[in-house]
Amino acid sequence: MTFEPAGRSLSDFTVELEVYSGPYEWLLALILKDELEIFEVPLRELVGSYLGSREQGAAGGLERDTDFAGSAAALILLKSRTLSPALDVEADGGEEESLSPEELVERLTEYLKIRRAAERLREILAFNAGHYPSAHTLPPRPGRLRIKPDRVTLAARQTFSRLVEPPVRHLGPITVTLQELAGMIRVALARGPVSYETLTRDMDRLNRAVTFAAALSLAQEGRLTLAQTEPLGPLTLRPST
Amino acid sequence: MTEGESNQSLPEPLPEHLLEAVLLVSATPINSPDLSSATGLSTQEMQAGLVVLAERYAPETSGIVLRNVAGGYQLSTNPSCSAAVERFRAEARPAPLSGAAHEVMACALYLGPLTRGAVSRVRGVNSDAVVRSLIERHLLAEVGTDHDAPGSPALLGVTDEFLAATGTSSVDDFPSIGSLVTQEELARVRDRLASGTVPPDAGSEPA
Repeated sequence: MTFEPAGRSLSDFTVELEVYSGPYEWLLALILKDELEIFEVPLRELVGSYLGSREQGAAGGLERDTDFAGSAAALILLKSRTLSPALDVEADGGEEESLSPEELVERLTEYLKIRRAAERLREILAFNAGHYPSAHTLPPRPGRLRIKPDRVTLAARQTFSRLVEPPVRHLGPITVTLQELAGMIRVALARGPVSYETLTRDMDRLNRAVTFAAALSLAQEGRLTLAQTEPLGPLTLRPST
Repeated sequence: MTEGESNQSLPEPLPEHLLEAVLLVSATPINSPDLSSATGLSTQEMQAGLVVLAERYAPETSGIVLRNVAGGYQLSTNPSCSAAVERFRAEARPAPLSGAAHEVMACALYLGPLTRGAVSRVRGVNSDAVVRSLIERHLLAEVGTDHDAPGSPALLGVTDEFLAATGTSSVDDFPSIGSLVTQEELARVRDRLASGTVPPDAGSEPA
C-alpha cells in the first residue's frame, strides 16, 4: 500500500487487498455500485494499512485523515447493515426470540461445525485450484433446437400457473338443461316438422340458445334434420326418416 | 490423397481413443451414460478405456489429468502447470473466496437444501449478499422450494461446478460434519458458555 502526499485528499491513496487493488476512491465507487461486495472487504486491514502509510506532519494530513475517517465510518455502517440478521416478522409482532441456554449451546455447536467445515472446504478448494478444463465450446448448429433458460422459465410459469377464472357474476342461475330441452324437441317432433321459432316463441334468450344447442345435438345423433332454405331464414326441424 | 481417403486408411480407433476425443472437447464433466452414448462403447469397454486414460493422464506423467468429478469424467490441465496456463490466457486465478462464502457453502453442503433464512440463522448474520455472490459464481443454485414456509422461499444447494471445484464426485465424498469437530472441542464450547465466556471463534465475522 502506498500513500503519496500529492494532489487532493485521498485521490492518491491506493490500496492492495486480496479482493481489490487500486485507488481507494475507486474502491468506494465499486462498493457503492454493488460491483464489489462490502462483506468481502476487510475493513480492519484497510484502516490498519492507512494508519501505517500516512505521513506525520504532511501538508493536508488533517484533511486526509478526516476524509478517510468519514468514508471508513460509512463503510463500517454499510457492512454492519449488510451483515445484520434480517428480522423475522412473527405473528407476535416480530419480537426478538429469546434462546434458552440449551438452545444457545445447540446453535453454537452447529455453527462451530459449520465453521470447521468451512475451514476444511477452504483447504479442499485450494488443493483443487488450478484445474482448467477444455476451453472448447460447441458452436450453435444450424437447425438445432436452442433452449433459452428464460423462455423455458416463462413457458413453465404459463403452464403451471392457475388461469384466472373469468367473472361470471353477470350470468343468471342455470334453470334448464340440454337434456330437458332435447326431450321437449322430441315430443314436438312426434307430431311432425316444427319450426325453431314456434318451439322457442315463449322462451327467454338462455332457453332459446340451449334449445338450439339441443337441436344441433339431436341432429348430430341423427334423430332430426335441420332445414333452412336461405341464410337467416326460418329454421325447420324435421324428424329423421 | 483426400481427407476422406486418409481417414479410410486409419486403423479402427481403440476405446480409449474415442473416450479421449470426446472428453477433450467437453468443458464440463461427462457422466458414464452420456460417454457411452457418444462413443458407442459398452460399459466394460468404457471402464477399460478409462483405466488406460487414467494411467496416461496421471498427474505425475502428464500436463493433462483425468478427473472423476461431479458424477462424470473430465480432462483438465494439471495444477502444477497452472501458472503457465494463466500466463498464456493472460488472466489471474480468481480471488479466493471469503470466510463467509466458505461458511455459506458449508451450510448448503451439510445442511442443504436450505433457505437463505436458514443459512442466516445458522451463521447468525444476514447472508443474502454472500448467497447472491455464490450463485453468480455458479457454486450455489436454487434447487427447489420450501412449500411449508411462508412465501415458499427457494432452497439452496451446491452445484456440479462446486463438486468440480472441490474435486469430488458427489456430496457423499465429503467427510461427515460430525467428524470435523472433536467432542473435546464441543465440551470446551459448552464450558465457556456456561462460564459466560464467548468462544473465540464461534459467531465471529471478520471486520
